[in-house]
Amino acid sequence: MQQTFTRSNVERKPRSWLVILDFVFYAAIIAALVGLAYYFYHFRDSITLFFPVFLGGAGLTIFLSVSSMILATIFGFIGALGRLSRFVLFRVIAAVYVEVIRGTPILVQLFLWGFGIRAVLEQVGFDPYNIAFNFLTLVQFNSIMPSPFIFDAVFYGIIGLSFNYGAYLTEVFRTGIESVPVGQTEAALSLGLNSRQIMRKIVLPQAFRITIPPFANYFITLVQDSALLSTIGGVLELQQLVTAAATANASDANLQLFFYVFGALMFFCICYPLAILARFLESRLGVGY
Amino acid sequence: MNFGIIPQVLPDFLHGALNTVIYCAVSFPLALLLGLILALMGSSRFVWLRGPARIYIEVIRSTPFIAQLFLMYYGLSTILFNISTSLGGTNLAVYVNGWTAGIAALAINYSAYEAEVFRAGFLSVERGQTEAALSLGLNSQQSFFRIVLPQAIPLMIPPFVNDLIYMLKDSAIVSVIAGVELTAVLETYRIRNGSNTIPLFILAMVLYLILSLPTSYFARWYERKLRAAL
Repeated sequence: MQQTFTRSNVERKPRSWLVILDFVFYAAIIAALVGLAYYFYHFRDSITLFFPVFLGGAGLTIFLSVSSMILATIFGFIGALGRLSRFVLFRVIAAVYVEVIRGTPILVQLFLWGFGIRAVLEQVGFDPYNIAFNFLTLVQFNSIMPSPFIFDAVFYGIIGLSFNYGAYLTEVFRTGIESVPVGQTEAALSLGLNSRQIMRKIVLPQAFRITIPPFANYFITLVQDSALLSTIGGVLELQQLVTAAATANASDANLQLFFYVFGALMFFCICYPLAILARFLESRLGVGY
Repeated sequence: MNFGIIPQVLPDFLHGALNTVIYCAVSFPLALLLGLILALMGSSRFVWLRGPARIYIEVIRSTPFIAQLFLMYYGLSTILFNISTSLGGTNLAVYVNGWTAGIAALAINYSAYEAEVFRAGFLSVERGQTEAALSLGLNSQQSFFRIVLPQAIPLMIPPFVNDLIYMLKDSAIVSVIAGVELTAVLETYRIRNGSNTIPLFILAMVLYLILSLPTSYFARWYERKLRAAL
């Protein structure tokens, strides 16, 4: 049979009886949700016991992520200025920082901060707990301080996370700044602005918009990577609490598995809305001017 | 800091690095295969193929790798144990160990990311190519495997190599279950030499850099060549 390939003929595909399976899929989704609800109902006692605890852990996870992201932004901004600097020394230091951090696992870096550098700094006499405690005593607020063990772990955890993400953000900011056309700088120069004014008033506002979508994506991976702090001990964030609850109930394998499922679901509930938000930002800001 | 410890621990660290490479070399092709299947499912016109692929990708990308690893290690052994006790026969849970669970978790996690790379790669091939192939009388399978895929592969190589480097780094997390790769070796020696840990960290980081930097330079070189060719 002779077939003609007009455009509409190519676009419109024939209906297939396999479309029936779509309804099977919807039925399977409903069955899976009911099954999940029953699964949670089966472990309702554990949920009532542990969900408030896990919520506290999720709060600490968000606190860790936000504070690490703020610090990482500072690291990344300094790194980007270093990479774009006129001086070779700054460029080399920034490049080594980026290459070493991006070439090694974040887990090893967290171990390095949480065990290696922490021990070295303690030998030298640097004690972040005392510094923070004395500062808070000064402002009459030292009752919020947790135990030294927890404080030090959180402190070095935030430093490790932000030092790692600073390297990634360095590249994000550098590409953002470089993506502003050279003509903008030239126009500003010819209008008589000096280099600092150009950076502050012309380049950075335009670069800012381009960096927002990758910045949002890195925040989501940062929330996920904060789960790695459960390995250095003392940081009672969500994954640490989930692992502790599961390990304490290791005699009942099904209950142990339930805790891991529940923890993963809580992370999903944090990260998925953020992912939708990031996609929205990308569609809004990813387009050109 | 006493760097005299490095010659003593170097053989074990090199063995750990070899295990890291094995983890990646086994997991990455599996992730590519799963990712290709997911990308093809995701571009299907049937909801019953598109929906599961979409859900899989979203769920995997929105949960931490360490949670997936625990789920795989403890969950798979629990489920296999339940199955084998209810059906009788051998206990299948004995096959879940640091190697199998780690490789499965790495492959499953990265398949979601590779699926996105595949999807973007297929979309980057112009639609006119498919239309031309169809108008020449190729059917949809022929036009996909002979026209679209060969043109998309060069574009997908740089993101694949980048993901391979990410996998190399994420394979360190396998050390929290019973994995025996570089970071696990580092942990063993760190606990054994409590007062002299910095040289061990430097050694492990240098080994990771030796593995990752050439790969990343290759990706950058290839990308520059590709951009020049286009």
